[in-house]
Formats: sequence, structure tokens, C-alpha cells
Amino acid sequence: MKKRNGVALAVLTTACLLVWIPLLLMAAASLMPEDELYWRYLTPLGLGRDRVRAVLFPSYPSLEAFIELLIRSPGFFIMFWNSCIQVLPVLAGQLVVAAPAAWAFAKFRFKGKEILFGLYVILMVLPFQVTQVSNYLVLDRIGLLDSHLALILPGIWSALPVFIMAKTFETIPGVLMEAAYLDGAGELYTFFHVGLPLGYPAIVTSLMLSFVEGWNTLEQPITYLKDKTLWPLSLYLPSIAEDKASVAFAAALITCLLPALIYLNCQEELEQGVAASGVKQ
Amino acid sequence: MIKIYRKKVAWMLMAGLLLGSLSGCQKKETGSIKGTAVQERESRPGRDTTMSAQEPEESKAMGRYSETEIELPEEIENHMKCGFFRGESGNLELYTKEGDYYSEAISDTFRYIYQDGVWERDEAWAGNDALKEKGIDLMYITWGMDKAYYLGGTDSDYRYHLFKLEEDGKLTEQLEGVFEPEEGRDYGLLPPKFQVLEDGKILVYAYSEAYLYDASGKRMFSMAKDFSGTTSDARGFSEGSEFVTVLDDQVVRYDLNSAKVTESIACDEIDGVRDSAELFGDGAGGIYMATETGLSHINKGGSMWEVLIDGSLNHMGMRSMYMTGFLEGDNQDYYGLFSSGDAGKGILLFHYEYDPDMAAVPPSSLTVYSLKDNSTVRQAASQFQSEHPEVRVEVRTAVEDGGSVTEEIIQGLNTELLSGKGADVLILDGLPAKSYIEKGVLMDLSGLVEEIESSGDMYNRLIDGLKESDGTFYQVPARFSFPLLIGEEGTLKAYSSLESMAEYQGERPLVPVENYGNLLRLTANLRYKELFAGEEGLADRELLIRYLETVKTLGDANGAKTIFSEQEMEEKWTSNYVKENGIIDNSINYDAGRADSAMTEADSFGGLGIPVEVRRLHPGTLIVPAEDLYLPSTLAAVNHSTANEELAKEFIRCLLSFDVQKEEFYDGFPVHKKAMTVLIEMDKEGFSMGSGIGDYHISAEYPSSEVREEIAAMADGLAVPIRIDQTVMQMVEDGSRDYFDGKESAQQAADKILRTMSIYLAE
Amino acid sequence: MQDGKLKKKLVPWLFLAPSLGGVTVFMGFPFLDVVKRSFTDTMGTRFTGIGNYRAVLENSAFQLAAGNTMRFLILCIPLLMTISLGLALLISGEAEKHRNNGVIKNCRTVLVLPMAVPAASLVLVWKIILCRDGVMNQMLSRITGTLWDVDWAFSGYAFPVLIITYLWKHMGYDMILWLAGLQGIPGEQYEAAKIDGAGAAARFWYITIPGLKGTFGMVGILSVVNSFRVYREAYLLAGSYPDSSIYLIPHLFAHWFLSLDIQKMTAAAVMMTGIIVIPAGVVWGIRRKK
Repeated sequence: MKKRNGVALAVLTTACLLVWIPLLLMAAASLMPEDELYWRYLTPLGLGRDRVRAVLFPSYPSLEAFIELLIRSPGFFIMFWNSCIQVLPVLAGQLVVAAPAAWAFAKFRFKGKEILFGLYVILMVLPFQVTQVSNYLVLDRIGLLDSHLALILPGIWSALPVFIMAKTFETIPGVLMEAAYLDGAGELYTFFHVGLPLGYPAIVTSLMLSFVEGWNTLEQPITYLKDKTLWPLSLYLPSIAEDKASVAFAAALITCLLPALIYLNCQEELEQGVAASGVKQ
Repeated sequence: MIKIYRKKVAWMLMAGLLLGSLSGCQKKETGSIKGTAVQERESRPGRDTTMSAQEPEESKAMGRYSETEIELPEEIENHMKCGFFRGESGNLELYTKEGDYYSEAISDTFRYIYQDGVWERDEAWAGNDALKEKGIDLMYITWGMDKAYYLGGTDSDYRYHLFKLEEDGKLTEQLEGVFEPEEGRDYGLLPPKFQVLEDGKILVYAYSEAYLYDASGKRMFSMAKDFSGTTSDARGFSEGSEFVTVLDDQVVRYDLNSAKVTESIACDEIDGVRDSAELFGDGAGGIYMATETGLSHINKGGSMWEVLIDGSLNHMGMRSMYMTGFLEGDNQDYYGLFSSGDAGKGILLFHYEYDPDMAAVPPSSLTVYSLKDNSTVRQAASQFQSEHPEVRVEVRTAVEDGGSVTEEIIQGLNTELLSGKGADVLILDGLPAKSYIEKGVLMDLSGLVEEIESSGDMYNRLIDGLKESDGTFYQVPARFSFPLLIGEEGTLKAYSSLESMAEYQGERPLVPVENYGNLLRLTANLRYKELFAGEEGLADRELLIRYLETVKTLGDANGAKTIFSEQEMEEKWTSNYVKENGIIDNSINYDAGRADSAMTEADSFGGLGIPVEVRRLHPGTLIVPAEDLYLPSTLAAVNHSTANEELAKEFIRCLLSFDVQKEEFYDGFPVHKKAMTVLIEMDKEGFSMGSGIGDYHISAEYPSSEVREEIAAMADGLAVPIRIDQTVMQMVEDGSRDYFDGKESAQQAADKILRTMSIYLAE
Repeated sequence: MQDGKLKKKLVPWLFLAPSLGGVTVFMGFPFLDVVKRSFTDTMGTRFTGIGNYRAVLENSAFQLAAGNTMRFLILCIPLLMTISLGLALLISGEAEKHRNNGVIKNCRTVLVLPMAVPAASLVLVWKIILCRDGVMNQMLSRITGTLWDVDWAFSGYAFPVLIITYLWKHMGYDMILWLAGLQGIPGEQYEAAKIDGAGAAARFWYITIPGLKGTFGMVGILSVVNSFRVYREAYLLAGSYPDSSIYLIPHLFAHWFLSLDIQKMTAAAVMMTGIIVIPAGVVWGIRRKK
């Protein structure tokens, strides 16, 4: 038993290391002064031909890139804030809109359910590219272009969270619902007191994924937002001048900082959620 | 324990990030707030009433600064500005001098005063005589805060002197000896600006520093500031006990008692904007900043710049104008002084007054889309704006300087076009023009072209080059350049075919060393007709192999590589930079005897200084155009679904008009013949250039008028536009890399390229 | 009674309504427009019948891309699902045993990080490793003693390189979904099985696998959805026209978009949707008949 634990730990550690190395390379690069960055990574940056001298710790660590980014680039903060404005309401909206729909799909029998659910799946599977022009037309018709809402509203009514939540709600044993009904609970009560607590991990997971997706979205803002003062953080990186490589690395690091922190928090929530549902049972 | 700790840290970091972004937000927002910003300072005329009356409907908001030109005395047309400020009586004063920076003689200086709407020359001014007496050529004059005039200028040895103009008309020298050259230097400090403070201290602006001297001439301390890159850089002002300037791309306040920076204010306009920017105080601790984007103001202790004047609606945003002064009037009006000619000549003065009855935003609008910033287009937009004040011209630039064009950006544009939206005028440089034409996105401009060509003012053949095979026009070039070959007559014959290029036998390589990317591209451009004439173009396997082999032969001869190491670049005088057409001026290689010929892309007379000098140094050398090939640029087209067809066409007329075409932005020659004549006739004294690597050095003057005439005459013979599909070029470059590295044969490379190309063509 | 029945019928629709309304506007209408566009010319003005469909099917670039994409999906999706499930099992199993083991907890966070890294920077890191002068060649040269000089992303190795970068990025995404699924399996089932003396393997086969049945389909579908996102990395790493082995449907779609051939793109998309939907519909119909 002990030994198997050891093996499992070893596998996990290796996996983590494999994942870590590229991330660490990135972090190290963001801490390098420009000279060192060019000296080490001339070829990957496409500037010349020289042996790559990869390191996980820079020889001359410097916070120059972060200072440049956080203090001297007011645009960065604007975009960071725009990202928050565009992503957080989406999550709230999905919670309100997608969770009940998922509950309906998972726990009720009604005519046309399968076909409807199939339609949701189709809408989810289509790549954004394909619907881009049509989406644009719809948003233009409603008059949402060039506003935060152009990203928020379609985000709320994405089919993805409905799909994820419905699939997970399905696994909630029917016994619990029947017990609730027997106690004389109404549909709403059952949803709030059985569905939501038991589906908690799935909801958090789905929102997590929506967050990461919204945070890194590129095509939508480029297409829907002409006004560059509305642009989110995800468009900051591509707009950094090519000669500011270390700033780009720093920006990337900060970009994934918030999703990482949220996950760190959600992770605990997730476990608590499971524990709570365990108690209920 | 660990768990709780970690969670707390995570929440704290998150909160920190959000808070940080909030405060950062407050600091900026300059861009988004236009005209409707919170008014902390005393309200601007008319502003409050309009705000309350019409607030809900932003689109109908009224009130905007209008611009009117103020006539200046005719005689100053060829004068240079030496000073512009409000003098002892509070009136505007303008000081000018005749002649140039470069003239040896001491120029006459003039004082003009603006009173009751008229500029009057002050005949009684004592300054001119006093300066002549001292033998000083005036460079700068200002009204000191100690209520006296101060003048600065150079003596016959080009040493700077600073004087106070006393009541009796005599000059007394200040800061004597301060401007003497340091040991071992030829020149002393030539400050672009100085200011005299209330207590007689003198603030002297140098390039990356400013010095404060006490009245006795002792330097108290120096303060760091940014250097904008031009010798006339004087961004900054002093008010009270503060010195406001630009440091690290931010506006900073120095405390003149401690020489310490007390506040840094982030500001997008400073970073990346062209170098003309004027900072001035509002008398209450606030800061005004005038740039090509407009006039902004920030209160003392404030965190938000408020945009008062939108520069894109008037002359402030015009690319050919260089702002040389900006002042506040008595009634929250402003005066902007600009120079539109070389070396500070062509002085223009504009008055900006708040007009409460003018729509805050002009009622109709015209949008111009360009992937990258284009000065000619900006110039045309300003010109158009001044001719059509009722139309708001918006130039949308997809990529900022230095950013890269990604597929997402073009997809975004395509989405608009497919939805029947998008800008009215499209500048096609870098866009998939061919697809746009095929899919009917662009408007047929045949009628417009006919009209423009019939004026007889244009290089009609250059415009005709863009005619489609069915005789229609969808795009019109506003600029052009063309490849030039440099070498002896016999050598240049080698450029007549791929074969003769490959077979060239000379002491030295035919083409100077370049990376293979450029070598491929320059060969494709110079042999454009041979390579792209047929239906198939490079899809013809035989031709493709011949092309690759020719490039390899050239590369073997000159030591080309697909990519050079740092050391190789130094030794070979080359770089890894790949230019779209591959033609980088390499005439110095020819001059230094490293190659038997060289080439350059002629896009301005100034840029040809060195090749022309090289020709002079090597008798027998010719400079000739490569066949009749040219490179059209700033290609304007009209969106088929525009609702403003007439305005859009009017914009293209404006783009091709003499007024816009005559301005030089080094982005190509004008397609307008009279504009070309202006450039031919324009002498640019003091315009010189140099180039050097290691021990080698060459310097050149601006090409003489005969040479300019000669180059311009070449334009008459040009007829075939080079239009190479960059996607194909990229495929060739990617697919041939292994061949040039010696890892496979030309046949293998060609097959690889053809495989990719067949996918591309099949799509 | 009648009333109650009606009410019962209405309840699910009330739950659905908020979602349905918005989805119809923001997803449904655009989808209908896509279908419409697949039967018209580029600007959507002229009806062309099935012309676009024929053009797409006859298009050799489409055939190549479709073949490559199939190959990519067949190889990648099972691999991705297996690896991520394995990791999820390890983590959840381990997590239960040592709730406060720092290593395990960190593992979870670390493994999901890649999906949050912006593509532009990520690609630079891949280049550090995979370019001609990069880490990979240096390591191989040291190990084998011979000089390696392969430009991984541009060579015949492009396909495995693409798969590895795809796995690296999306492993965490799938893992999270698996973890959510695993948490849906009631703990007492395991307890009961343990009491009955079932071994770890038996518990896995008879409790975990059936318990994950629903999750399985979900992860599969989402992995296919995500596979379309591999394009950005592929394009940044190996260019717009890469080695023909990694020329995928998203490449083709991007190029069609750039050249305004949106009618072909929509036709192809509708067809691909059909390929997924029709068999699923048939299966569902058969099951219902039974």
C-alpha cells in the first residue's frame, strides 16, 4: 500500500514537473533584463541564430519588465479592468441562467427534451470562426456592438455551462429528489435545496472553465470592439511591440495570475462542497 | 494551518490585483473621456448649460473648440520663430528672424505684437540693434517671471550667450561662461530653451537634463528629463516652485527647492507620440499638454487627464505640422503656433475658442481603415477635415507602432465587411486586396480614376498599373517607390534575366550579401515579370527550380545564410531583418568593394543621398531603375457597402490632391506631378546623412537639384507595378530553407513548396 | 388534476425559459444565419443551392484537412482523456488519503495552469524548446553523442509536436471535468464495496467506471470542441501554411475567412455538424423505439 502511494506520488510529481518546466521558463524570462533575454533566446525570438541558453533562474534577475508594465503602462490596468468587467458578469449570469436550464434538462422529462439538448450541443460545438459574421450581425441589429455587453450577453447565454452542469446534475441520485418531494417540497425548493448543493462542484467547475475562456478570448473583442479603450487584457499581449519581449512574458504571467488564484480558491470550495453534500446524504 | 494561510494569501492577492487595476484606471482614462469629463476646475464657457440640458443624448451634445487661423504678417513667410509668449502687456508676442540656422551672417530679428485682432510689427524694438552690436544671432527669447525680456543666441564662434534686455535697450550678459565648451569639446551647450524665475534663478534646458542656476551664475543642480530626439526639444515649463517635464515617458513634477520628483503622472499621449508636444501651466498648479492628439489638461493633484480639444478635428493632428508653441488666452481660449516647413519656417497660428453652438461631434462621419499608421492618410484626413468641418473623419489604425498584424485582426475586419459594415475608405496595404476585389467588397472606382487622370496632373501610368484585367479600377495608389540598381553598365546587364544573374562572373559577387529571405525576395521583385508573368507564376515547377537555383548561386557567391549569427552580421555588414520586397539599400557594400553592384528602393530624395554619393565616388557607375517596375503603396479603395460614397470618393480626391501629395513623409514619392516638382525644387540645406560600420564611413548631402530632376524623370518610365502574393513568398521562403542550408536539393525543395502551394491554390 | 398535470408540464419550461430565450437570440439566430449562408454566395445575396457543398467536397484542401483532423482527433482525444482521467484518479484517490498533503494540492493547481497561459507567450516557450538551437536538440545531442539539428515544428515531427503541445495545454481542463464527475459518485458506494472486500481494481471497474458514464461523453465532446482551439498555437508555432501533416480544418477555415470564402466555411461547418448529429440522432431514435 505504502509503495503504491509512492508510485502515485512519483507519477504526479513527474507530471507536475513536465507542466512546470515551460511555465518556469516563462517566469524566468519575465525576470530577465532585455540584454540577457536576447543573449539567451536569440533564435526563438527570431532575431538571429545562436545557441539557446535556457535557464530556470536568470543570471541577472530584474523587475524592469514588471515595473514597465505595472507602473509605466496605464493601458495595462485599463485592459485588466475591462477584462474583469467583461468576465465577472458573465459568470454571475451563467449561474442564474444556465443552472436552472441544466436542472431542467437533467431532472425533468418533457417533450422535445432530447432534440433541444442536441441543439444546445450543436451550438456549443460550432467553432467561433464559423458563426463570427452571423454573431456580428445579430449584435449589430440589437445595437450592442462597441460596448462591454457585446461580450457579456453572448457569454451568459453560451451553451457550454448548460451542457456541463446538466451532465453532472444527471448523476445526482433520483432518490434524493423523491425524498424531497415526499416531504412535500416544491420544484423550486428541490432545485435550491437538493440540486444546487449537490451540483455545487459541477457549477463551480463550469464557472471556472467559463472564466478561463472569457479571460483569454481574442477573436470576440477584436471583432466586436472598435473602441480600443474597451479592449480586454487578452489583447494586450499581441499589441506589445516586438522589441519588448520580457514585458510580454511579464504580461503573460500576470494574465494567468488571476485565473490561477481563482482556481486556488475554488479548489478549496470544491472540496468543501463535496464534504457538504456528503453530510446531506 | 497551511491551508488557511494559502487561501488568505490568494484572496489578498486577488483583492490587490483588482484594487490595483481600479486605481490604475483612475489614473488614466484619458482616451475614453472626451469633452464630457468631470469638471473640477472652474467651468468652461457654455459647458455647464449644455451638459445639463442635453446630457442624456450624448450624440447630440453641443459645444466644442473651434479652430480659426489668425493671419500673420505676410513678410514672415520665410522667417523662423524665435519666441512666442505673452509679454509685458499680456498681449501675444511673436519674435522671428530672417534666414536659416545654417547661415553665417547675423540675421535681422523682428518683434510682432497682437493687439485688437491684428499683428503689428514693433518698429521701435531695441533688441535687433542691440543683438547686432553684440554680434549675436538670436535663437530664443522669452519673458522672464521677473518681468524682463531675456534673449539667447550664438556668437560667430557658435558659442551661446544669454542676455537680459534692460529698460534702456542694452543687453547685459547672464550666466557668463556657463555655455563655454568643456575641455576637449568643440561646442558648448546650445540650450533649446531657458526660463527665468521670479527670484532671478535661471532654468536652462539641455537635452536629457535641465539645469537650475542661481542669479550669480552658479549651477545649483540638474534634473533628468527625456530627450525627444530632436534638437528643438523643449518639453516642460516652470511655474511657482515647480518644474514640469517629461521623464521615462511620464509627466513629472520636480520641486525646485529639493530637485526631487514629487509626482509622476502616467499619460498615453507622451509615449509614442511624435516629438512635438508642448507642456504649459494653467496658473493654478494644473498642467496642459498639447500634442498631435489634441489638448489635455490635468488639475493639480488630479488623476485624470481631460481632453479639451480633439486634435484629430483640426490642424493639431496634421502630420506636416510641427507644433512650436501653445498658449492659453484670457477666456479659456488657446493659441497654437505651428511650423509647416523645414527648419521652423512656414509659421502658422491658430486660435481655439469654445463654441457652445457647435456639435461636440460633427454630424456626419467618414471612417478610413488602415492596418498600420500611415502619415499620408493622416495628412489627408486633416486636410479633409479642414475642408469639411461638418464631417468627422476617423482614421482607424488596426495595429499600433511595433505591434504585429495577426490573422484575428484581418478576420475582424472581414467580419465587418461581410456584414455590409466597415470603414468607408480602406487602405489596402497589407490586406488581401485580391480577395476583396473578387468577392465584390470594393467599389468600382473607374469613374473617379478617369476624372483624376483627366486633370493631367498625375502620373497616369502609375495609376493605370492597378487596372484590373477587365479594365476597371478598385484601388488607387497615393504613393510609389521603385527599385534602383547601382553598378557599372556592363554589370547591370546581368539583371536582365535569372539566367544571366546566375551566370554572372565577376571579381566580386553580383549582389551584396543578404540573408536568404531577402535574397529570395529581391530576386522575385527585380525579376518580377519573368517569374510572375505566366498564368502559373511560381507554380511552374521548372521556373521555381530555376528561381531557387539562381538565388542559391547568388548566395553561394556572396556568403548568404538563411540566418546569420551575431558575429557573421558584423563581419558581413548585414542583418537578419527580412523586408517585404527584400530591397535594402546596400550601396555601401558596393562602395567598399564588397560587391559588383548594389540596389536600393527609391522612396524619397533624401533616402538616395548615399547611393548618389557612391556613384560620384566611383566613376563609371550608373543608377538605373530596374526595368519599368514600381511598388505602389497607400492603396486607397472604397467599401462597396459604404453609405457615404461621395464623401469616400472625395477623400480619395483629397488624398491625391496637390496639398496632401506635396508633403513629404518618406513613405514614397507623390503620384501628383506638381507635388513632385515641389519636391524637386525644394532645397534642403543642412540635410545630410551618414553610414558607417567599423572603420568604414561614408557621408552624403541631400541630392542636388539635377540629381533630383534625374531621379524624378525615371518615374515617367515606370509602368509595371510589383504585386507579389506575400503568402506565396512566405511559402517559398519556408520551403527553401533546407535547400539553402544544404540539406536537400532544389528539386526536393521545389516539390515541398509546390505541395504547400497546391493546398493554398486549392482552398 | 388536469391543472396539476399542466403545471407539471410547464415546470421544466419555466426552468428553461431564461436560458432558451437568450440562447435563441445569441446562438440560435446566428446558427440559422450560418445555415442560410451555406446556400448563398459570399455576400449572402444570391442563392446558390448546394453549390457551396459541392465545392467544399471537391476541394482537395478540404479533403486533406478533414483527413488530418480525423487522424488528429482519433489519436489525441483518447490519449487526452486517458491521461487526464489517470491524473484525476490519482489526485482524488490521493487527496482522500492525505487531505492535507501539500504536494497533491499543488499538483492540482499546477496541472490546470497551462490552460490559462496566453498562446502568444506559450509559443515562445515552445520555440525555446523546439527550435533548431533549442533545448530539445541540445539534450538529444548530449544523450546520443551525435549532433541534432531538427527544426521540430517545421519538420515531419510537426504532428507529434502538435499533439504534445495540445495535451500539455488541455490536460488540466479535462482533469477538472473528471474530478467533478468523480465527486458525483457517492462515497458510501466505495465504503460498502470495501466492506464487501472488493479490491481496488474491482472498485474501479464496478463503481468508478459506471459512475463516470455521463462524464465520459461530456469530456469527449468538450475535448473535440477544444481541439479546434489548437489552431492558435499551431499557427503561431509553425506558420499559417505548416507541414502538410498538421494542416487541419481550423487552418482551412482561417484561410477561407481571410479570403472571404465564408460560404465555403459555413457549408463545411454545417456538413461537419451533420456528420456528428445524424448518427447520434439515428442511435437515439433506435433506442427510443426499443
